Amino acid sequence: MITRGGRAATGFLLSCFLVLGAVPLASQGASPAPGTAGYKAPVITDTAALAGPRQPIFFRHDIHAGQDRIPCLYCHNTVAVSSEPGMPALRTCIGCHQIIGGSTPSHQAEIAKVRKAWSDRTPPEWIRVYWVPGFVHFPHMRHIKVLGSTPDACANCHGEVNGTPQISQVSTLKMGWCIQCHMERKLSRDCTVCHY
Amino acid sequence: MGDGMNRRRFLKVLGVAGGGAAALSGCGIGPEPTEKLIPYVVPPEGQTPGIATYYASTCRECAAGCGIQVKVREGRALKIEGNPASPVNRGRLCARGQAALQGLYNPDRVTGPMRRNAAGQLEPVSWDDAITTLRSKAAEARDRGLVFVTGLESGSFGDLVDEWTKEAGGRHVTCEPFGFEALREGNRLAFGDASVPTYDFAAAGYILSFGADFMETWLSPVGFQNAFTRAHSFESGTSSGMAKFVYVGPRMSQTALSADEWLPVTPGTEGLLALAMAQVIVRQRLATVPADAARLSLPAPASVAQVVGLDAGTIERLAREFAAAGAGLAVAGGMAAHYANGAEIVAAVNILNYVAGSVGRTVKFGADLAHGSGAAGSHRELSDLTADMAAGNVAVLLVHGANPLYALGGAFAQAWAKVPFKVSFSSYLDETAAGADLVLPDHHPLEQWNDSRPRAGVYALQQPAMLPVFDGTLQTGDVLLRAAGKPGSFKTYLQGKWEALYQRLAGARGPGFDQWWTDALQRGGVYGDAPVRSVRLATAAAGVAAAAPSFTGDAVAVVFPHPALHDGRGANKPWLQELPDPVSKLTWHGWVEVHPDTAAKWQLASGDVLLVKSAAGGVNAPVWITPSVRPGVVALPTGQGHTAYGRHAQNRSFKAFDLLDVEANEYGGRTHVVGVTVAKTTDHRRLASTEGTGRQLGEDVAPVLSLERARGLHAGEHAIEEEGVPEYARAAEEGWAEAQHEKASLGNYAGEHPRWAMAIDVGKCTGCSACVTACYAENNVATVGEDLVVRGREMAWLRIERYFRPVARGAAVSAVTTPMLCQQCGNAPCEPVCPVFAAYHTTDGLNGQIYNRCVGTRYCSNNCPYKVRVFNWHNYAEADGVWDAFPAPLTWQLNPDVTVREKGVMEKCTFCVQRIRGAQNAARMEDRTVRDGEIVPACAQTCPSDAIVFGDLNDPRSRVAQLAEDPRGYHVLARLNTKPGVTYLAPVRAGAAEEA
Repeated sequence: MITRGGRAATGFLLSCFLVLGAVPLASQGASPAPGTAGYKAPVITDTAALAGPRQPIFFRHDIHAGQDRIPCLYCHNTVAVSSEPGMPALRTCIGCHQIIGGSTPSHQAEIAKVRKAWSDRTPPEWIRVYWVPGFVHFPHMRHIKVLGSTPDACANCHGEVNGTPQISQVSTLKMGWCIQCHMERKLSRDCTVCHY
Repeated sequence: MGDGMNRRRFLKVLGVAGGGAAALSGCGIGPEPTEKLIPYVVPPEGQTPGIATYYASTCRECAAGCGIQVKVREGRALKIEGNPASPVNRGRLCARGQAALQGLYNPDRVTGPMRRNAAGQLEPVSWDDAITTLRSKAAEARDRGLVFVTGLESGSFGDLVDEWTKEAGGRHVTCEPFGFEALREGNRLAFGDASVPTYDFAAAGYILSFGADFMETWLSPVGFQNAFTRAHSFESGTSSGMAKFVYVGPRMSQTALSADEWLPVTPGTEGLLALAMAQVIVRQRLATVPADAARLSLPAPASVAQVVGLDAGTIERLAREFAAAGAGLAVAGGMAAHYANGAEIVAAVNILNYVAGSVGRTVKFGADLAHGSGAAGSHRELSDLTADMAAGNVAVLLVHGANPLYALGGAFAQAWAKVPFKVSFSSYLDETAAGADLVLPDHHPLEQWNDSRPRAGVYALQQPAMLPVFDGTLQTGDVLLRAAGKPGSFKTYLQGKWEALYQRLAGARGPGFDQWWTDALQRGGVYGDAPVRSVRLATAAAGVAAAAPSFTGDAVAVVFPHPALHDGRGANKPWLQELPDPVSKLTWHGWVEVHPDTAAKWQLASGDVLLVKSAAGGVNAPVWITPSVRPGVVALPTGQGHTAYGRHAQNRSFKAFDLLDVEANEYGGRTHVVGVTVAKTTDHRRLASTEGTGRQLGEDVAPVLSLERARGLHAGEHAIEEEGVPEYARAAEEGWAEAQHEKASLGNYAGEHPRWAMAIDVGKCTGCSACVTACYAENNVATVGEDLVVRGREMAWLRIERYFRPVARGAAVSAVTTPMLCQQCGNAPCEPVCPVFAAYHTTDGLNGQIYNRCVGTRYCSNNCPYKVRVFNWHNYAEADGVWDAFPAPLTWQLNPDVTVREKGVMEKCTFCVQRIRGAQNAARMEDRTVRDGEIVPACAQTCPSDAIVFGDLNDPRSRVAQLAEDPRGYHVLARLNTKPGVTYLAPVRAGAAEEA
């Protein structure tokens, strides 16, 4: 568990280019906005066209947060108190999916993976999308306290997650990007606020 | 570099050529590997990712039984701190306690049970097989000799071993290489009571130690040190005097570094000195002498002066001072209790306490320590065991929590071979485990249930702070219960004992056992006081003569316990190996202390290898020439010279135990002071020392005030004049001040900010170095190993500087110790020379060091007058690299709040900025400002003597701001106009000539 120290990673640059090519799928026609009543998540036919890494289970934020309007904190429940947002435990998933089995065969197939993981007691190994190096300390709770925990607040950094079928990195997470916001809001730009 | 070869590519090519391409991607060059997020299946209760949970438990690194709080994050123990609720250590902890984590995550732990096969190799077996073997072997050994050797176990585990061994028809023997036989025997001689009382250092008006190293290895070092500094520290503005501390013994130990006066008497005459002092007190009626003291026959000072090596006038003065203090406290122990006449020395010191009226006031029988209980055992039991083994009378030998094959060596090793079946419960493959037929690795104390009774009235609980690091270990208590075919786990056995305790302590008035148990777990135990029991002089006391032993040979050798490695059990922990010994400042190897006069006689230089031989054996030891040892005496630390015990311990210098006889002496202890012959060899080595110089060279890093001078100081006065800016630089300084003023109104710097600062009372610093290890643990500081220490590349952010004070030729030296860390200068020399702004001034007054900006020019370190910046010459965190300081699973200990630095980066103390930011985050979440005292850096948290205070200098009500105005306050190298954020308070020595 060595936190990587030292020089910034080049891997970011690559992922940033990929992100720029991705067009948010939610910006379609006159249907209600994600997270509002009546929003229907689209049917995805070509998953290969989606930005971001393919996860072991095709978990769709646009269905959970956009269509079903589950609050972000329902799953990421430590984000308001801890520097870590908290990845939901499998128990949180199975809490609903014990009953909800999915309406289409493709949904059912993904939910079956969740149920299997639960019965096997082997959690899925999600591929991390948002990542800052070990020499950056980002306290989520401080940002949530100021910005709130609504999908709009989270969108400041994570984009319109509730309209995104597959998560990809939408902000560079580079220092200039952080500083820009801190400048606009007249916040500290002292190095040791984040780097120690 | 030309086209197509940018810097990064150049480095990559280099990496391939070096065969380390794969490893390099792990240190920041090349694409990052994909990170996985693996959620819990069911989240553990009471744990929030990113937020630490603290579990109360008890430290098991020695038998003192200090209360601890283990910081756990994401299921891993990261740091150990003292438990403020415990009356033993009052929230403080020593270096050894801090380093328990490196025992937990030791890379050389035994990961599962092993049995010796037909080929003579240890091979893994299943627990079922192992326990079946144990059961059948124990059954076979009934009536043919079964012996269970443990360390000092004062709690339920000891009880279980007692019961188990009794049922198996065997006996239970305790093995503590530095036992307290002389203390018990001396107390029995003087008072007819062989228990070990509590010594109340805090209540003492005068402290006299006859060899007792009560701040490092004796009985309860953390608690004693804490109490000692409360008695011995000087509070400005109060007229109450500080207790004078006199240390008697041929070698200046870490404890003696704090002494106002060190008396290096002839070895073995400590008891004569005590009796002569008692004689003066009785004869001159200096105290209300109890009537029964009349039957003592005490020697007059003049009759012992010559053999002791002090003049009669000095002895009379000591006696007068001791008696005048009212509540004086004399303690005998350490090496004074390991002479052949150790018990009589202890008895003599008891007599001194008795005639001065200290018994009952500062020496408290009743609150007896575990070291005096029946469980403590003695060396005689071990030498008897050795004889039994050699005679073939032991069929099965079980060893837990002790390493007799290392500590007893020679004769024991030969007898060992005669025992048909040996079982070790060690977590590590130490000498004993490596020679055993069955190895049943126990859980580490941080993974297990247990308890201890460090002193009467105190019941300390131990609970697992995390799941076992290795699946294959099993708590020995559970193994014994299973082998005996008993139901239940050791936890239920323990709870059974506690249920009985509950009935006794709380009974019907209590809140019910479950509630009481939960409360006890939360507080770390149940803490009560025991009533003081009065003792009278025993008839045997009249016969105490404490005659000096005679030694043959060229010199007298003192084999003393290493303050960090102790009897060798600390040697597998790199933090303790790299921790400079408080006196010698040597790391990673043993040494022999020789006085300059003696060295001149023998024509030795520091680093020459000296062959030291006693009747029992010989060792080759590198010489360290020092005034801190009496001429004609050589002193050698134990702890090194392991032939097994893992990569950090193995094959390091010599084993000083080789000089000692296994035979028990008169009082059942082991004699640690022996006559030796010496011979200079042709070998020489560079000592792995972290010391620059032992003298202050007129720089007044730690100027000492006399008690008279300190008492005369008034508020607003400054005892130590700080040289101002010289005339020629005045204009420059004014210009600088103006520029600073201007900068402070720009950007981030505008407005009100705290200025983080520290006040360090050098008078309280005992040099114990607990802060150093705490800093390593908190800040992921790498250990670099012996070779790099020799080259001056140690990484400590905080060091303890030990200075000997100049004295007249022939006089005994005195010493002073002071912590040196980044001074967080207001006008820092490091900052303006950094070409990339990695070293810069933060808004809150720290000298920030931004690792990811640093390009490693080392200009900052070059310009730092305090030499507190350290450079990463190698990749100390590269897994399996040549310099890997954290071989798995030591990586599990790394603090996730602090960056792990890589090669080419400068690093330094930033007052635990992660704790500052953590407290600021917590305060902001509650919409308040940070309270004074809320931020405690790791060094200040652990300091057993409470010498370090941290806070905001800009808040006039903060403790640190008040201490910064103390008349004893000074800044190190203030004449350089660095404007340090650390204010030191000058140490005060009673009876010291002022040097400042």
